[in-house]
This record gives sequence, C-alpha cells and structure tokens, in this order.
Amino acid sequence: MANTRTIAAAALIGLAAASPSLAQDTKHVKWLDDGTVELTMDPEYGGVIKTTREELGALFGPGQKPFEGQEVTVLSLDSGPKGGISGPLYAFRPIWEELSGAKLNIALTPISELYTKTFLDLRNGTGEYDAMIVGAFFYGDLIAGNYILPVDDWYNSGDYPKWSYDAMPASLRNIYTWGGVGYGVLSDADGQVLYYRRDLLTNPEHQAAFKGEYGYDLPVPPTTLQQLRDIAKYFNGKDFDANDPEPDSGAVLHLKVREQGLYHFTTLATSFAMTPGPELTKTTNVYWFDPEDMTPLINSPGHVKALDFLKELAQYGPPAQVSWSLGEAWDYFLRGKAVFNFSYGDVSPLAQDETRSKIKGKVGAAILPASDTYWDMNTKAFVTTQEVRKVGNVTGGSWHGVISSLGDAPEASYSFLSLMAIKPASKWLATYGWDGVDPGYKYQFLEPLGEAKLEDYTNAGWDATDVKEYLQAYYDNFNAPTLLPYLRITGTQEYFDVLDSNLSAAMSGSKTSQQALDDTAAAWEQITDRLGRDKQLAAYQQAIGWKQ
Amino acid sequence: MRWTNRVRWVFLAPAIAWVLVFTLFPLVYSLYASLHNVTNETIVERAVVPMLDATGKPVLKTDGTPRTKTEIKRETVTKWEWVGLRNFGRVFRDPQVAEAVRVTAIFVVVAVSLEMLLGLLLAFLFNRNLPMRSLLRTIMILPIFATPVAAGYLFFTIFYEEGGPLGWTGIPFLSHPGWALASIIIVDVWQWTPFCFLVFLAALQSIPEDAIEAARLDTDSSVAVWLHVVMPFLQPVIIIVLLLRLAEALKVFDVVASLTVGGPGNATQSVSYLAFRTGLRFFDVGYASALAYLLLAVMMVIVTFFFKRMRTVYA
Repeated sequence: MANTRTIAAAALIGLAAASPSLAQDTKHVKWLDDGTVELTMDPEYGGVIKTTREELGALFGPGQKPFEGQEVTVLSLDSGPKGGISGPLYAFRPIWEELSGAKLNIALTPISELYTKTFLDLRNGTGEYDAMIVGAFFYGDLIAGNYILPVDDWYNSGDYPKWSYDAMPASLRNIYTWGGVGYGVLSDADGQVLYYRRDLLTNPEHQAAFKGEYGYDLPVPPTTLQQLRDIAKYFNGKDFDANDPEPDSGAVLHLKVREQGLYHFTTLATSFAMTPGPELTKTTNVYWFDPEDMTPLINSPGHVKALDFLKELAQYGPPAQVSWSLGEAWDYFLRGKAVFNFSYGDVSPLAQDETRSKIKGKVGAAILPASDTYWDMNTKAFVTTQEVRKVGNVTGGSWHGVISSLGDAPEASYSFLSLMAIKPASKWLATYGWDGVDPGYKYQFLEPLGEAKLEDYTNAGWDATDVKEYLQAYYDNFNAPTLLPYLRITGTQEYFDVLDSNLSAAMSGSKTSQQALDDTAAAWEQITDRLGRDKQLAAYQQAIGWKQ
Repeated sequence: MRWTNRVRWVFLAPAIAWVLVFTLFPLVYSLYASLHNVTNETIVERAVVPMLDATGKPVLKTDGTPRTKTEIKRETVTKWEWVGLRNFGRVFRDPQVAEAVRVTAIFVVVAVSLEMLLGLLLAFLFNRNLPMRSLLRTIMILPIFATPVAAGYLFFTIFYEEGGPLGWTGIPFLSHPGWALASIIIVDVWQWTPFCFLVFLAALQSIPEDAIEAARLDTDSSVAVWLHVVMPFLQPVIIIVLLLRLAEALKVFDVVASLTVGGPGNATQSVSYLAFRTGLRFFDVGYASALAYLLLAVMMVIVTFFFKRMRTVYA
C-alpha cells in the first residue's frame, strides 16, 4: 500500500515538473499548454470561459499574483448573488481572486439607492469603493466632479485582460466614453425594443377578426406605433391566456414613479418629437434641450402627442401598472397575460426560463415601431409619413464598471472589470438570462451581422426563433439611423426626477399631458439656472456632440 | 469654587455634551448650510511610476518588462457659496413644496384624527369587562412594535392590485393618487392607533373610582359623567398624545419610502421625503436644510400651542 502511494506521489511530482502550468492551476483557473486558459465558475453559475494567455494580458500568468495583498471593493445595484448586474460580480470573483492574488469585496445597494450611495462616497471624499457599477446617465455628474478615472492607458497597455471598444456600435460607444476618452469598461447594453406574442399575432382567427375590425392586415410585427395601438386595443380584454379565466391585456408597461417609469415615455416620444435629418442641427435630431440656449424641448407638440399616445396605450393594459416597476410588468408579460411589452433586453432571456415564463418559443421581438406622425421643428407642424422609420434608443443604464478616482487600487479594480469584459466572458454573459447583461456587441450578434452562432444561444437553452428575432431587434435598434440622444449632463438625475413625477401624474390622471410637460419644462429651466446655464449648455453640447 | 459646585458640573457635563453634539451642532450646521450653496469637487493628479519590490528592484510582468503603477493625488474640496435667504425664498416658489405641504397636511389631519378617535373608542371598550381582555389587548398593541419600513413593505403586498389579498376589491390602492394617499393613512392608523389606545386606557384606569361613583350619585346621565368627570381627567393625556402623534405624523417618511416612493406623481410625497430626496438624491444640501427648517418651524408652532394649552388645562 505504501509503495503504491509512493509511486502515485512520484508520478504526480513528475507530471507537475513536466508541465509547469499544471502545477500552477488553481480551483477556478486552468493553464493549458497550448496557451489557452479555462476559467471555471462555481457550480451554481456553471460557466466555463475559454480564453488565452494573450487575451488575459501580460500581468496574469501561471503562479503570478500581480495584486497580492490588495483589496478591491466594488459597489453595485443589488439583485443578489445570482441576479441581474450584481450576479456576474459573484460569478467572476473567485476566478479573479486566484488570478490576481487580491481580495474582492462586493457592496450591494438597492437600485433606487445606487446613485445616492455612489455620490455620497465620492462627494464626501470617503473613497470606500474602488469601482462602481453605474448607469451611463451618472456620467454627467461623475465627469463634472472628476470622480472617475479614464481607462485608456490601461486599455492600451496590453497588461490587462483585453476587450475592445471597437466591438460596440457607435450608439453604445458614445455612452461608455466622454469626449472620446474611455471611462466605462464594456458590460451591459441597454435599449428598449418591442416584445410581442408571435403565436397570437400569427393566429389566423385573430388575423381575420382584426382585419374585419380595423380594415387592414394584422402586421407581424407592427411597423408603426399606431398599428401597435390598434393591435393592443383589439386584444385587450380578450381571454387569450389559457392559464386563468380572467381577461388579458393588449400591452403591459412599467410606470411606477422613481422606478424607471419615465423611460417608456422617453423612448416612445423619440419618433413623435424628434425631427429626423442627416445631421445634428438646432432643429433636427434634438430631443431634450435647444442646443444653443438650453431651452427645454420636453413640452414640444411632439412630446405632448407622444404622452397622449402613451396614455391611450396604457388603457389597453392592467390599471395597476401605474404602480408597477420592471419586475411586475415583466412577470405579467411572462405569465402570458399581455400581447406587447416594450422594455430592456432582459425580457426575452427571462422568457426562456420555463420556471418563470409560460411564453418560451412564443416571444417575438422587433425594434420599437416609430410613429407615422412626427413634429417638424422647422415647419412647426406635424408631418405624416408612409415611410417605415427605424428609430433606436440606448435607453436605460447600460450598467457597467467605472474606476473611482478615490480608490486605493485602481489597477487591480480595472483588471477585475476588464476580466469580465473579455470577448468569451462577455459572450457567455449575453447568452444567459439571469445575469442582466444584455447583448449589443459585434460578437454577440448572429452571423452574418455579427460573429455569434445560433448554437451559442440554443446550447444555453434559447428557442431558436425567439433568439433570432431578439438579436435582430437589438442590432436594428443600436444601429438605427435615428437615435434618441442620451441625456448625461450634471443634474441628469434631478431633470429626470421632475419629468418622472410629472409623467406619473399624467399617467395616473392628475394632470393633462400638456400640463405635465409644461410643468416639467418650467422646473427644468429652474434647475438649469441654478446649476449654471452656461456650464450646463457646454456639458449638453459635449454630450450630444454639438458642433456650432 | 467649592468642590461640591465642581462636582455638579461633572454630573451635568454628559447632558451638556449630548445637547451640544446631537442637538445644537446639527441645528447650527443645517442653518449654516441653508444659507449657502454647497458643492464638492475632487481635484485629481495622476502619475505613472515604476513599481518596485521590497528590495527596491523593479517588478516585472510575465513578459519580462517592468511594471508600472498609477499614483494618485486627490483632494476633495467643499465650496460654501453664501446665498443668504435665497434657499428659503425657493421654498415658497417651488410647486413641489406646495404639493408636499398639501399632502403632509391631509395626512396629518386625517391620520391623527382617526388614530385619536379610534384609540379613544377602543380604550373605552377595553375599560369594561370583556372576555379575553388581556389577550385581545396584547394582540391590539402588536403593530406598535413593527418597524415602519417593514410595515410599508407588508402593506405593499396587501395592497398589491394584481393578485394581492385585497385585489378582489378592485380598489386601486397604489395606482390612484387619492387611494395611494389613503393607503399611507391606513398604514399609519394601523400602526399608531394602538399607541393612542394604550395611553388612553392607562389614563382611564387611573381615574379614581370614587370620583365617578360620586358623580353618579348626582346624575343618571352617562354622558354628563363622561363630559364632566372622565374628560377633564383625560384632557392632559389627550393633549400629550395628540402632540406626540402630530410631531411624528408631520415627519412621515418610512411608509412613504417603502410603500409608494411618493407616487403616483407626487401624490404621496411628504415634506420629509422631499427634503430627503433633495438632500441625498440631488445633493442640494442648502435647499434641503431650508426645507427641514420649514418643517421645524411648523412643528415649533404646534408644540408651543399645545404646551400653552396644557398649561391652561393644568392651571
């Protein structure tokens, strides 16, 4: 027996000596002799990321612990260890700790408190967090206060895990950078697209009944918002969901105040309020403010018409949605109780989870249809068009990591964030629904538009038709010729809050659309004056890429 | 100074320190803040320097080239710009404040009235011989011990309109502006009626039996006994309870934050919640301090009124 042990031990030592990498393998990191590396997550996450030494950068290597003894604290919104946005931090933590030799602390806070917690730390100079997972709409305040560090030097050095801004469409790259300088490390890609029940819209009986009622063929998917409204109206109140005897809804929205309720309006209003044009001018492709004097445009006739439209669309949904946040509206849709939902990239991935969803294989997706009528700021009149317009948005946070100016371990923090951003990791995150990291990058889209293969997704449990439509919808959205400009100036949170509460008042019937948006515009003028009109104007012009 | 005088100061010192640190300092600081526009800025200087090990030798990367690290010098500067009474002026021009004051006033008047009335009725009921009185009394007072935030979340599930336990009523508890305010009031009444009840019951049970029996010798009217004997005994307690409840209700925050987050629109946004969001969400510290002082001024008026009233009653 003793001999057998001795022989086995000798064999192991010999094997280790013959293969230096094997000796350096750790529980989550395996260095293979062909230059590839396997990064294995804990069993509850189940992911194995295959990368290369080259892709991991010059600092990480077998037996190297370049940040040994350091401690990094990352602040994130709280969806738990296996929830959206915060989950990936937990999934990659043990891998990074073994690669770096450092320790990672994850500080979580509810999404509604994330802004406060981030800026309390930064404004008071506490420096408790080395990195923060932020929404892109934080940038105005982050940049104005010098609170975050540019990452370009580390990104270009070759020392850290390698990822690429070039994988991003221009719409997303714009919100990960400021003035051409990189600040954000690639992660989530947010935008709102239309989700619809493919099975219901393609049902011949419904198609015939719809045509009888509205006089035109039921379009699958709808190509204008007005068609979407007609379809929602047609289905509303019918019991198309076999799971309960109650009537179902045409559309479901998340409209709760201070819980991202305003984004439905901002997205939908783009095609009503923004005058399309080949370039950014005082009257074309502007949405929030006049780029010459910061006069609010939020109460333009186009915006008012959009809010009237949203109010009408909301009538074809459950009345309780006025107090619903994302999760509640998504659950309603996933239970099969609504035909339409327009929301973030989480919906279709969640629909693939049959423990939560009854609509796997039935979820169509498309770029959010545009209105057939828009406000022309040049002629000061509404224009009706027959053209099918593609109007995109990057609405939402596109939650991603930035490096605090106040942290003690900026390089270590960057190495962690960039590890999660390498192509195979980012691709893996996009294929799974639970992690909240939505697709938007070249290698996440299917060939020939991108580099991904259908099997990448079907192997992760996706329905093939669902995922094809889903990825196409996001590709169209992020690459649309007309795009909702992203507001990210100092005080964005305050501007949004005023808009949010006024929209909620309009949706709950306390104010008319005109009154709600006039009140918003008046309050925005006060905020701009208080924060300094010239300073705000300069930041706004820079944020939207205005050239005189 | 005699040593006994010095000892007196030693005993007083903790109380004085407490008042200075926890009462006067925040008051003075927030007054100072309310007269200023407070902004912060961080000045950052970065330098990339070679990384050295403990012996002073350069640390190398896996490819053999020397490693560098970023050294950061930073300084956070807080700027106090004097604005005089401008923040107080804003309070009177801000439509959000007007709406928050209206919401808070409705909440305070309705919730406190209901709590006082129900508390009094229940106290009279429990002052009689009831079966299982002790058990019922214990159950009655349980809501007092619930954390208001937890109560808010509990009622969020109860008022949930799609499949919640009260969903069958069809009442838009959280999605209609009027009902949302009513929901906040219901939670407050649920939580604080037991407090009023408990204090009133204790007061009722402390009324001397002799006084009531003597009154009954003079009149057969229970109403007369109630008005001329019971109420005068209860009046100081009612004033104290009313004062405490008014002061608490004026500061309503937790239930708003957990149940409605001030919505729909601003239909349930109280002054405290607005001040909190102004200070900690938008970091407009000066204006938030001015709002807090507005609330303090209103409370001081109420407290002064009730203390005067109490002195009259005792006199």
